Amino acid sequence: MVRVRIEQVVFVAAAVTFALLATGTLFAAGTSEPEETTFRWATTSDPQTMDPHAVNAAPTTSFLNNIYEGLVRRNAGMEIEPSLATSWEPLSDTDGWRFTLRQGVTYHDGQAFTADDVLFSYGRAISDTSDVTSWFAPVSGVRVIDDYTIDFLTTAPNPLFPDSIANFMIMNREWSEANGAQQPAGEAENFATRNANGTGPFYLVSRNPGVETRLAPNPTWWDTVEHNLEVAIYTPIENQSTALSALLSGDIDMISPVPLQDVERVESQPGFQVLGGLETRVIMLGFGHEKDQLDYSEDLSGVNPFQDRRVRQAVYQAIDVATINQVTMRGRAEPASQLLPQGLSGFSEPNADRLPYDPEAARQLLSAAGYPDGFSFGLMCPNDRYLNDEQVCRAVTSMLSEVGLNAQLTTMPVRNYWGELREDNYDMYLLGWSPGTFDAEHPIRFLVTTPNAEARLGSWNYGGYSNARVDELLPRIQSELNQAQRQAMLDEVAAIVQEDVVYVPLYTQPLIWAMKDTIDLVQRPDNFFMLRWVTVN
Amino acid sequence: MLTYVAKRLGQSIFVMIAVAFLAFALFRFAGDPVMQMTGVETSVQEREALREQLGLTDPFPLQFLRFVADLLRGDFGFSFRTRQPVGEMILDGLPATFELGLVALAVSLVVGIPAGVYTALHPRSVASQGLLLVTLIGISVPTFVTGILLIFVFGVQLGWFPTFGRGQTVQIGWWSSNLLTPSGLRSIVLPAISLGTYQMTLTMRLVRAQMMEVMRTDHVRFAIARGLPFRTVHLRHALPNTLIPVITVVGLQFGGMIAFSIVTESVFQWPGLGLLFLRSIRFVDIPVMSVYLVLIGLLFVLINLTVDLLYAAIDPRIRIRGSA
Repeated sequence: MVRVRIEQVVFVAAAVTFALLATGTLFAAGTSEPEETTFRWATTSDPQTMDPHAVNAAPTTSFLNNIYEGLVRRNAGMEIEPSLATSWEPLSDTDGWRFTLRQGVTYHDGQAFTADDVLFSYGRAISDTSDVTSWFAPVSGVRVIDDYTIDFLTTAPNPLFPDSIANFMIMNREWSEANGAQQPAGEAENFATRNANGTGPFYLVSRNPGVETRLAPNPTWWDTVEHNLEVAIYTPIENQSTALSALLSGDIDMISPVPLQDVERVESQPGFQVLGGLETRVIMLGFGHEKDQLDYSEDLSGVNPFQDRRVRQAVYQAIDVATINQVTMRGRAEPASQLLPQGLSGFSEPNADRLPYDPEAARQLLSAAGYPDGFSFGLMCPNDRYLNDEQVCRAVTSMLSEVGLNAQLTTMPVRNYWGELREDNYDMYLLGWSPGTFDAEHPIRFLVTTPNAEARLGSWNYGGYSNARVDELLPRIQSELNQAQRQAMLDEVAAIVQEDVVYVPLYTQPLIWAMKDTIDLVQRPDNFFMLRWVTVN
Repeated sequence: MLTYVAKRLGQSIFVMIAVAFLAFALFRFAGDPVMQMTGVETSVQEREALREQLGLTDPFPLQFLRFVADLLRGDFGFSFRTRQPVGEMILDGLPATFELGLVALAVSLVVGIPAGVYTALHPRSVASQGLLLVTLIGISVPTFVTGILLIFVFGVQLGWFPTFGRGQTVQIGWWSSNLLTPSGLRSIVLPAISLGTYQMTLTMRLVRAQMMEVMRTDHVRFAIARGLPFRTVHLRHALPNTLIPVITVVGLQFGGMIAFSIVTESVFQWPGLGLLFLRSIRFVDIPVMSVYLVLIGLLFVLINLTVDLLYAAIDPRIRIRGSA
C-alpha cells in the first residue's frame, strides 16, 4: 500500500509542476499592461511610513512630498517657493514669521485646507512621538490670525525658518482626529501609518509595505500639472543587480541609485539613459579631538597625535582626492573644500580652495610634529552607507601609508557604525553630511559646535571639537538678518574649520539615476524624487 | 506512539527556548535600532528617550524574559521599522515563501527522481554522464549566481519571465496566492528553479546512489529472475526502497528551503519571509528578527517530527519498536 501511495504522490507532484510550468510559459508571451500612462519606479529603501511627522529620513520624506505639501517647497534648483503658503514675511511686532495661506486648496478627501490644519500639524510635529521636532526648536509659539493667516513666533530673529520647514507637511485635523491619528505612531502603528490624506499632486491609492505602493494624480490639485501620469507604482528593490535587471527588461521605468560600476552598461543599452549629478552630501574624515590617546595604535600609547593640527593637515595633504575620484567614483564626484558643497547657500567663496595634494609637505608636517616615521592608528568606515565607502577608505589607507601613516582599517555596516562612533571606538572615521536646510549653518550646528545635548548642538560632532569663537558665532549666524554680515560670520567659521583642519573634506558624492529614454524627469540634488516633474513620452 | 510524539514535542519546546535565547543574545551585536529609527537631526535626548521607551536599556535577562512572556501570550510585538504588528507581517510573508518553497520542491522532485533512476539504470550512457556533469555544476554554483543568470537570460535577454516580484496575487482569506494568476505563475518560474536547483541535484544523486544499491539486492535480482517486466521491477520493487533516505533529506531540505530562501528572495525581490528577515537585519528590527528566528526554529522542529512520524509509517520496524 505504502509503495503505491508514494508513486501516486510523485505522479501528482509531477503533473502539478508541469501544469504550472506549462501555464507559466504559455502566458509568458502575452499579458500587457493597461493602456494608462503608468510609471513604475524602484529605489532601495521602502518608505517606513506614510506619516509625514513620524520619520525624518530622506526615503520617507522624499516619497511623502508627492502626497503631502508644506507651507513652502523647493523647486528643481533647490530654491524655496510658495506652496500651501502664498507669501511670508517677518513679523513686525516680535520675532517670527507670518505665512499667508493659499485659499481654495482641498485635501484628497475633499475637506478644505485652513490655518487650523497648520496649527494642528505643528502640534503633531512637536508631540513626543514625532521625529521632526528639531525643526521647531527655535519656535516659541504659533498664533492663528484668521483662516488664511498664521504666525510662527521664534525665540530670536530666524531668517532661515521658512527654508528649514520645507519638509514640514500639513495634515488635515478632521481626518487625523476621526481616525485616531492625532499623533505620529508610537510603538504600534496608527491609521496614518498606512493611509494618507494630503493636498499634494498625488494621492495614495494602495499601500502594501515592502511590496508595492500605488499613487494616482490628484484631480483637484491647486497647481498647474506638468506631468502626464495616470498611475504611478513604486516598488522597493533592495538588491541593486535585480533593480538593474528590472530596468533593462522593461519591468521598471526608473531606478535609483545605480551602482557606479553599472553606469556604462546602462548607457551602452539603446533605449536607456543615465542621469548623473552631484548630491548635496560631502564625504569627510573626522578625528577624535577630545581623545587623549589612540585606541588602535600598535606603536603609540598615551598620546593622540591627531590633536596636533599639523598631523591633521598632514593627513589632508597626503590624500589625493583627484585619484580617489577617478578610481572609486569614475570621475563623477567633485573635490570638496568645506563641509557643504560649493554653490549652496552660505558656502564660503574665500575658502573655496582645497589644500594641495603634497605628500612631501605631509612628511615635513609629521616630522615637525615629532612623528618623522609616522605611526599606526585605527580608521573606522561604514561599508553600506555612502557610495563605495569601503573602496574610498581603502584608497585613503594606501595613500596615508605613503607618508608613514599606517591606518588599520575596520569596516562595518552602518547599523553598527554609529554605535562605535558614539562609544569613541575609532582614531579616525569617515562621515558624510548632507545639510538638511541646504545652508552652511547646518553643518556648523551639527558637526562643529561643542556638543551640548541640552541645547541640541553638535550632536554629530563625535570627535568633540570645541572652539569658543565658533560657539559664539553660531547663534549670531542663526539670527542675523543682514545677508552680508551673516556671510562674513560664515566665512570666518569656514576659515577656522579649514585652518584647524577640524575635518578633512574629501569630495561631494555623485548621484546617479537610470531610466528609459522615453522618460523625462528632474533630478533634485537632495535625491528627492518628485513625480510632478515626470513625463512619459 | 502517543508517548513517542509527546516526548518529541517536549524536546521541541526546549529547542525553541534555546533558539530564542541564542537569537536574543546575538542581537546586541546586530547594531543600534534607535539610530535607524530616527533622522540625523533628532536630538540626543530624544534618542535616549526612545531607547528607554523600547526597553533597550533594560538588562539582557529582563529583555529576554519579557520577550518570552509576550510570545507565550501570543503577543509578537510591533516592528521597529514599520510599527506594524509583527504577527501580521509574518503572516503577510508566509504565503509567498511557502508557495515558492512548494513549487521549488515539486520542480526538484519531478526532475530529480526520474533523473536519478535513469542515471542509476544506465550508468554508462552519454546522457547519464552529461546529467551528472550538469548536476555537479548545479551543486557547486551558489544560488545567487544561478538566480542572476536566470534573470539575465530569461528575464532581460529573452523577456519570457518577470525579473522580480510575485506578480498578481489572489486573496483567499488571509492567504495571498500567486499560483492562480497568469502573471503570478510566470513570476514563480525563475525563483522556483533557482531555489530548487540545489535540492534537485541532491535528490538526483541520492536516488541514483540508493537505486544502484537496491538493484544489487536479492529481492530485485529475484524479481528480475522471475521474469517480471523491467518497468515493474524498477518502479514497483526497487524505487520505493530508495525513497526512505530521500524523504528524510527532502523533508529537512524543505525546511531549509523555507528558512534559507533568503538569498533567492533577495535576488528576485520575492516578498516573503526571507526578504522580510533581510530587511529586518539591515534595520536592526529586533522584534521581527526574534519572532522570525523562533518560527524558523518551530518549523524545523515540526519537520523533524513529521519526518520521524513518516519513518514510522513507512518502516514497520520503527513502528513496532515505537509502540512496544
